[in-house]
Amino acid sequence: MNSALILYIIRRTIYAVVSLLFIITIVYLLIHAVAPSPLALAKVYAGPGHTSKSQLLAIIKEYDLNAPLPNQVLNYISNIFHGNLGFDPSFHRPEIDLIGRYLPRTLELVIPALLFSMLLGLYTGAFGASKRRKAGDQVVKGVYLVTWASPPFLVAIFLQVFFAYDLHLLPATGLVNPVLLTPKDVTGFPLLDALIAGDFTYFVSLIHHMILPVVAIGLLSFGIITRLTRASMLDTMESEYFKLGLMKGISRKRAVYTVALRNASIPIVTLLALTFGYAVAGAVVVEDIFSYHGMGWFIVYAITNLDYIAILGTTIIIAISIIIANLAADILYGVLDPRVKLE
Amino acid sequence: MINETNKIKNDSESKLIRKRRDRSNFLKLMSKDKTAIIGMVIVVAFLGWSAIQGLLEYLSGYTGYSYLSYILLPSNPFHTVLADRLLAPSSKTVWMWFGTNFEGESIFSRMLYAMPRDALVSVIVVFSAIAIGAILGIAAAYRGGWLETIIMRLTDSFLAIPALILVIAISIPLRATYSGVILGLSIVWWPTYTRFFRGQVLRVKNMDYVQAAKINNVKPRNFFIKYLFLNSIDPIIAYAALDFGNVILTYSTLAFLGIGLSVPIPELGAMASNGLQFLPADWWYSFFPGISILIIVIGFVLVGDRYQDLINNRIDY
Repeated sequence: MNSALILYIIRRTIYAVVSLLFIITIVYLLIHAVAPSPLALAKVYAGPGHTSKSQLLAIIKEYDLNAPLPNQVLNYISNIFHGNLGFDPSFHRPEIDLIGRYLPRTLELVIPALLFSMLLGLYTGAFGASKRRKAGDQVVKGVYLVTWASPPFLVAIFLQVFFAYDLHLLPATGLVNPVLLTPKDVTGFPLLDALIAGDFTYFVSLIHHMILPVVAIGLLSFGIITRLTRASMLDTMESEYFKLGLMKGISRKRAVYTVALRNASIPIVTLLALTFGYAVAGAVVVEDIFSYHGMGWFIVYAITNLDYIAILGTTIIIAISIIIANLAADILYGVLDPRVKLE
Repeated sequence: MINETNKIKNDSESKLIRKRRDRSNFLKLMSKDKTAIIGMVIVVAFLGWSAIQGLLEYLSGYTGYSYLSYILLPSNPFHTVLADRLLAPSSKTVWMWFGTNFEGESIFSRMLYAMPRDALVSVIVVFSAIAIGAILGIAAAYRGGWLETIIMRLTDSFLAIPALILVIAISIPLRATYSGVILGLSIVWWPTYTRFFRGQVLRVKNMDYVQAAKINNVKPRNFFIKYLFLNSIDPIIAYAALDFGNVILTYSTLAFLGIGLSVPIPELGAMASNGLQFLPADWWYSFFPGISILIIVIGFVLVGDRYQDLINNRIDY
C-alpha cells in the first residue's frame, strides 16, 4: 500500500458518498415535485385506500412534512443513516425490517448470478476472440445479442417452461419447499442459516429453487462482459508478450486462455458494478416470475399495492448497495492496475 | 467501388464527411453486412407500421369512428368472444396465427395494435435524452470548472442506479400512467448521453477548425450547433440506434410489472405478464408478445452495431 493508492481510495470513497447524497436528494425532490402540498404527500405516504384527515395529519407530524424543504431533505438523510426508512402501511412493520428480510435473499441470487455471468462472459469473449470471424465467433455473437435484446421476462419464462414444467428437473416457483421447517434466523441469509442449523435438506431445497433464477439473471447480464472481453482480448492478442508466448511454444489454446485472458480481464473489473446493477434490475422481474420472495418480489408487491414508502426504501437501499459495489470495483481496479491512480 | 471502400476504410474523417454528402453510399456501406440488412428491415417495418397504425389510432380517437383503429388489423383487437378463449395458434385464418387470450381476443391483432405505443415511447425518450445530454454535456465540457464538476457528479449519481428501478420510483407518484412513464423514462435516460457529449466535445474543442471558428467570431448559436454538436454526434447516433431498443425493453418491462398501462389498450409487456398464469399449457399467450419485443430490439441492436463498426472502421465484424 503506497500513499498514491491510499489517496486514490480516499478520493473514490468521497465520490461515492457524494453520489449517494445526490441520489437520495434527487429521489426525495422528485416525489415533492409530484406531490407539492404536505397533505398530498401524506396521501402518497399513506398508500391506497381511504385515509381519514386525522390519520393524514398524524403522518404529516410523524415525517415532519410541514418543515421547509431543505430541512426535510436533511431530516430524511439523517433518518436513512439511522436506519429509519418509515413504517410500511401494508405490512404494518418498519420498512427496515422488511428490507432486512428480503435483501439477503436477493443477494443470494444476485451474487452467484454475477459470478456466473462473469465466467460465462469471460469464456465466451475469449472463445469469440480466438475464433475471430469464424463460425464460433458468429455463434457467440448471436447468442449474446439474443440474450441482450431479450426482455428479461422472456428468458425467465423460457427457462421456467422448459426446465421446470417440461422436463421437471427443477422447481418452477418459490423460495424453498414449503413443507420444510424454517431453521432459526441467525444471519438473515437463508443459506447460511440452514448451514448453521445443520439442516441439509433445507439447504438443498434452497439451492434447487435458486438455480433457475440465478441462471436467468446471469444470462440477462453476461452479454456486455462478452463484448468487452472480446474487444480487450483482440487487443491483447496483438501484443508482443502474447506472440512471445506462442513463439516459446506453448499451445495456442493455453496462450489464449491463460496469458491473454488473464491480461484482458483487468478492464472487465470496471464492469462489475454495472453488471451488478443489471443483475439487480433483472432480479426484479425474475423474482416476480419465479415467485422468489426477495427484494424484487417485494418491489412488485409494493407496485401493485401502491406502497410508496416501500418503493422509496428499496430504491435507496439498492442505490446504496450499487454504490458500494462501484466503490469496491474502483478500488479493486486501482489495486490491479497501477496506472489508474495517476489520473 | 472496392477502391472507394478502401479509401473510406483508410481515412475515417473523410469518410464521415463523404457519408454525410452521399446518402446512397452510406446505405451501401450499411448493407454490406447481411445481419445489418435484417436489422434495417426489422426497424423500418416496425417504425413504418407504428407510424401508419399510430396515425389511424389517433384519427379514430379524434373522429370517434372506432373502426378506423383496426381497419388494417386482421381482426378487432377488442372483440371478445368467450367461446374462442385460449385457442391455440393455427394457420387457418390470419387472426388466429398467434392464438387467442383468455377473453377470446386475437393475440396477433392486439400485438399489432400495441406497437405504436412502444415506438412512440422510444422515439420521445431517446430524442429528449439526446437533447438534454447535448446541452449538459456540451456545457460541462466547454465551460469546465465547477459547472463541469456538478453536472458530472449528478450524471454519475443517476448512472449509479439501474434505470428500471429509478423509473419505478419516479413513475409511481406520477400515477403510473402512460405519459407518466414517458416522463419518468425521460428523466432518467439522459446521463449516458451527457457523458458521450462531454467526451466528444472535449476531443473536438481543441481542434484547429473549432479554434478558427472562435477566432472568426462565429455566431454562438452556429458555433454550438454546427461546430460542437454536429461534430460530436456520429458515435452518439450509433449508440442511439441501439438505445431505441433499450428504451423499448425497459418500457415493456415496466408494463410487465403493471406500470404505465391504460387498461383496455393492449401492451406487449403486459400481455406477456397476463399470460403468466396460463403458462405451461397456453404458452402462446406470453410467448408471442415476448418474442416480438425481442425481434424489434434485435433489429435496433443490429443497426446500431453496424453503424458503430462503420464509424470505428471495424468493418469486418
